[in-house]
Amino acid sequence: MSQGRQLTFNIFRYDPQEPNDKPKMVRYQLTETPGMTVFIALNKLREEQDTSLQFDFVCRAGICGSCAMVINGFPTLACRTLTAKYPKGEITLMPLPGFELIGDLSVNTGKFMRELAERLKLWLHPKSNDISVHRLEDPMDPDEAARLYELERCVECGVCVSACATKQMRETFVGAVGMMKIARFEMDSRDARTAEDFYHVIGNQDGVFGCMTLLGCQDNCPKDLPHMQQIAYLRRKMAMTLIR
Amino acid sequence: MAIKLTIKKSSAWLDLSQSLSGVILAVFLWTHLVLVSSILLGSDAMNWVARTMELSFLSDDGHGYPLVVTGIAMGIAALALVHVLVALQKLPMSLRQQRALRQQMQVINHSDTRLWRWQAITGVVILLLLPVHLWLIGSAPETIGPQGSADRIWNQGVWMVYLPLLLTVELHAAIGIYRVALKWGAARDLNSRSRLRKIKTIVSVLFITVGIASLLAFLPHAS
Amino acid sequence: MKLIYTDSLVVGAGLAGLRVAIASKERGLDTLVLSLIPAKRSHSAAAQGGMQASLGNAVKGMGDDEDVHFQDTVKGSDWGCDQDVARMFAHCAPKAVRELATWGVPWSRVSAGPRDVIVNAQKVTLHEAQEAHGLINARDFGGTKKWRTCYTADGTGHSLLYAMDNKAISMDIPVHERIEALALIHDGKRCHGVIARCLITGELRAYVAKSTTIATGGYGRIYEVSTNAIICEGIGQALALETGVATLGNMEAVQFHPTAIVPVGILTTEGCRGDGGLLRDKDGYRFMPDYESDKKELASRDVVSRRMTEHIRKGKGVDSPYGPHLWLDITLLGRKHIETNLREVQEICENFLGIDPAKDWIPVRPTQHYSMGGIRTNATGESPQLKGLFSVGEAACWDMHGFNRLGGNSLAETVVGGMIIGKYVADFCENNSLEIDTQLAERFMQQVQSEIDLLIEGDGHESAFALKREMQRIMMDYVGIFRNGPELDKAVAELKVLLERSRKLGLKCKKRHANPELVEALRVKRMLKVALTVACGAAARTESRGAHAREDFPQRNDRDWLNRTLASWPDADALEPVLNYEALDVMKMELPPGYRGYGINNAIVHPDTEKREQQIANILAELGEDADRYQRQRALMPFELPESLQPNNERLSDTLKSPSANALGEKS
Repeated sequence: MSQGRQLTFNIFRYDPQEPNDKPKMVRYQLTETPGMTVFIALNKLREEQDTSLQFDFVCRAGICGSCAMVINGFPTLACRTLTAKYPKGEITLMPLPGFELIGDLSVNTGKFMRELAERLKLWLHPKSNDISVHRLEDPMDPDEAARLYELERCVECGVCVSACATKQMRETFVGAVGMMKIARFEMDSRDARTAEDFYHVIGNQDGVFGCMTLLGCQDNCPKDLPHMQQIAYLRRKMAMTLIR
Repeated sequence: MAIKLTIKKSSAWLDLSQSLSGVILAVFLWTHLVLVSSILLGSDAMNWVARTMELSFLSDDGHGYPLVVTGIAMGIAALALVHVLVALQKLPMSLRQQRALRQQMQVINHSDTRLWRWQAITGVVILLLLPVHLWLIGSAPETIGPQGSADRIWNQGVWMVYLPLLLTVELHAAIGIYRVALKWGAARDLNSRSRLRKIKTIVSVLFITVGIASLLAFLPHAS
Repeated sequence: MKLIYTDSLVVGAGLAGLRVAIASKERGLDTLVLSLIPAKRSHSAAAQGGMQASLGNAVKGMGDDEDVHFQDTVKGSDWGCDQDVARMFAHCAPKAVRELATWGVPWSRVSAGPRDVIVNAQKVTLHEAQEAHGLINARDFGGTKKWRTCYTADGTGHSLLYAMDNKAISMDIPVHERIEALALIHDGKRCHGVIARCLITGELRAYVAKSTTIATGGYGRIYEVSTNAIICEGIGQALALETGVATLGNMEAVQFHPTAIVPVGILTTEGCRGDGGLLRDKDGYRFMPDYESDKKELASRDVVSRRMTEHIRKGKGVDSPYGPHLWLDITLLGRKHIETNLREVQEICENFLGIDPAKDWIPVRPTQHYSMGGIRTNATGESPQLKGLFSVGEAACWDMHGFNRLGGNSLAETVVGGMIIGKYVADFCENNSLEIDTQLAERFMQQVQSEIDLLIEGDGHESAFALKREMQRIMMDYVGIFRNGPELDKAVAELKVLLERSRKLGLKCKKRHANPELVEALRVKRMLKVALTVACGAAARTESRGAHAREDFPQRNDRDWLNRTLASWPDADALEPVLNYEALDVMKMELPPGYRGYGINNAIVHPDTEKREQQIANILAELGEDADRYQRQRALMPFELPESLQPNNERLSDTLKSPSANALGEKS
């Protein structure tokens, strides 16, 4: 194999726990290898150039949602971003805005998602608690199951939250991830909650009526989820509760 | 079916009224511009339009009721006020919010967010210019004909208000309608979204062209 | 010293850990979960294909029941599993699937009427029964008699994990994220909790608990290329090992998955082959039928992986800069099927290979995938050596997998094992009081503290990253799919050298809070011990069983090796583990050792096998014709379960008045 080209990484560095540290951009050089992803590159940089570099990866296969960061202006999953995508060989990495910064490229999306789930009660509220696991299960429309799975594909990577200007301005805004999940349970025939119940949770300025439809969520979602359609659906549904 | 008016659901009402007032204003705006552009067909055409606006066909002397124009101006002012008050809640009012927005937009490259920022900026400009326009028309309703308008625009230098107003309002309205369509689910998939975006741009360009042409068409009438 | 008390402490927030936490909380116990990462990021999410449970709703699953699932599991394990546990598991799997449906999992459902599937490269039309419409569907997986793998498209693990974590959140179970357990607090007889380090602040905490459940997953990352997430580093196993008392079972049993993409080693699900995908060589030739004429691509994983390696060794592999590989062809399934049921596979192909699997073949090769071995527990999930220490899921050697795990049985183990063991954990917490010996906790805390101090302030100079790379290379080269004595001895010798070097680790980054290098250093020392248990176990086991394939001992040897390897590390300064063996009692087996159905039958039989077969025949004859399958099973091998899990499972076939073959049968 021929010698790979030189890549230049501009990486945001800041350790908020270090008393005298200030946010800065640091340049690193690295030789590209075939099939190199940002995951591979960052690990190489850490092993060979700066062992203190912080970032998060878990599955490294685009499944777990740990590694979202802003790459050349677009928030996305770093593990499945090939460096070959950047013809100039210049790659700027920033942590996702809108989340608590742990250090460098590592942000606390987990804490955010858990708090959101608690606040919006993002779990199935079954219609009956009297369920026997020994008996035949209740049937469900196969198409409904398939539709629900489509909405379940969210990996809580936080990209939609960071790409949402509304969320940046209004800290309490639930973001696309929250609304998508509400829409998922709203469409689930097994869930006991009514449109009125959901209105109490997201029928406000922090929910569907605060959303300005800027669609940073839809345009950046690594799982190509239908945010625009789902949030519009939810908004219509919530507005319909005004009429009886 | 009954409509429930509850304070509890004020958010839904606010959001609905923003969309609704915006749509009405945009429809009025475009109608208005089409009517004004009658000058392109000559002063007779515009005279006819202006007289009809004043409901001349109802009055015996054919002069109509110029107060109707004042009424329309006041109605639009009221609608615009509602639109502004509701929309203001969505704008970054505090310094902290403005900083957060600026930071995010520096880090993340997203065209629809930039589009929205233009909408916000044009909105603020319209907020300053529209009252001038409405006052001028509302206080002198009898001057909406070709001569009166031409005199106002070119001799009194009001074109310095009208030209920026035309540009901002046509951008603002088209972006706004585009967003309302997406907001309530008119675009079922991304393909129709990009199509909507194209239509939006065409509408803006078209009306700005017609508007500028109309402004220029008044020039010969200003003597 | 920061002390945190709880009743039920769970280390690891994947499916198994969360299920145990839920079981504890259901009984009103104070429950706390520690996790390296947010719960929903756990590696459970990566399981794409599905979980096995003998629901028998789909037409190709008709006639399935616990007995068939049990037999498949035991055969799959190459008779290395604990048959009691396999029974407990097979009995509870349908319950776990149905429970998860009520927690929100959108299982793919059966659609009544005809549907086209690909079986053995042929298009076949199946007719699903009207009565089955809307019930939970199943797909085909390797090594199973029936279509038994329940799924949600190809994101089953993801759906399960999200439903499970949502359930845990709804029950207000705290998950302490970004916390790494580094030592167990114990007195040689009883486990009292863990010493853990916060990965953000670096703070050390003692979590003191009645029961400690380790559910940290497998140890795949001791290998260079693995389908596992990068956090699957065997630290849970190391925690148990470092007590010097607790044992690890069958650590040499490491599974290689046939179809991970080249070079990055990301998994493409077995569902690809289950749904009809084929394996091809450099000539585009479908080679599996030549080796396994019956099950072909859907032979057990260990078998397919070995056959692929054999075929590559014959020079039939496709050359690439990363070594030879073979092709996985799913183009014949059609774009629609791929875009709905195999979409994760499609995304992976697009993002990491830049190919379209509906048009192009996927480059694959066998890659480390699953750890059958783990912390040895008894049937209740508790360590036989350390009271109060439980383990569940891939972390454990509960031992339903023996020497090879069937596809779809790992996801199933997490939720079924969690369901069963969770109840035993709760029982334990109810029957035992919290014993707080702060001095003991302090001693362990001190130990971890000085370990960190030495790394940061000491004069060591070895690089943690370099040691890890070397270990991974050794495991890859010498402890892989095919093993032999000389190479294994070499592996053991080289690993020992690395272990010694790991005592002189030095750090470039001296931070005590968030410091990735420190994390790496603390882990690599522990991983080396785990790697040594694998290599030593493999070197000692002079037979081939399941995934453990010795070129120098190709026969399965039931006479000498029908046992379970137990590794412990009593002397902290030693360079290798102590190995002991626990015999499997043929006279208690429901299914005595037999032919697995692959290759030639060359096993060296156990002297008891014939005796037990005769005994079984007698017992069954005595029961007579009228006995139902439950009575027969009980007569052969009675097994324990918590009372609430004992009822029989209802199936569609039980509710139909007269299931005519016409209504249910296949009309192809």
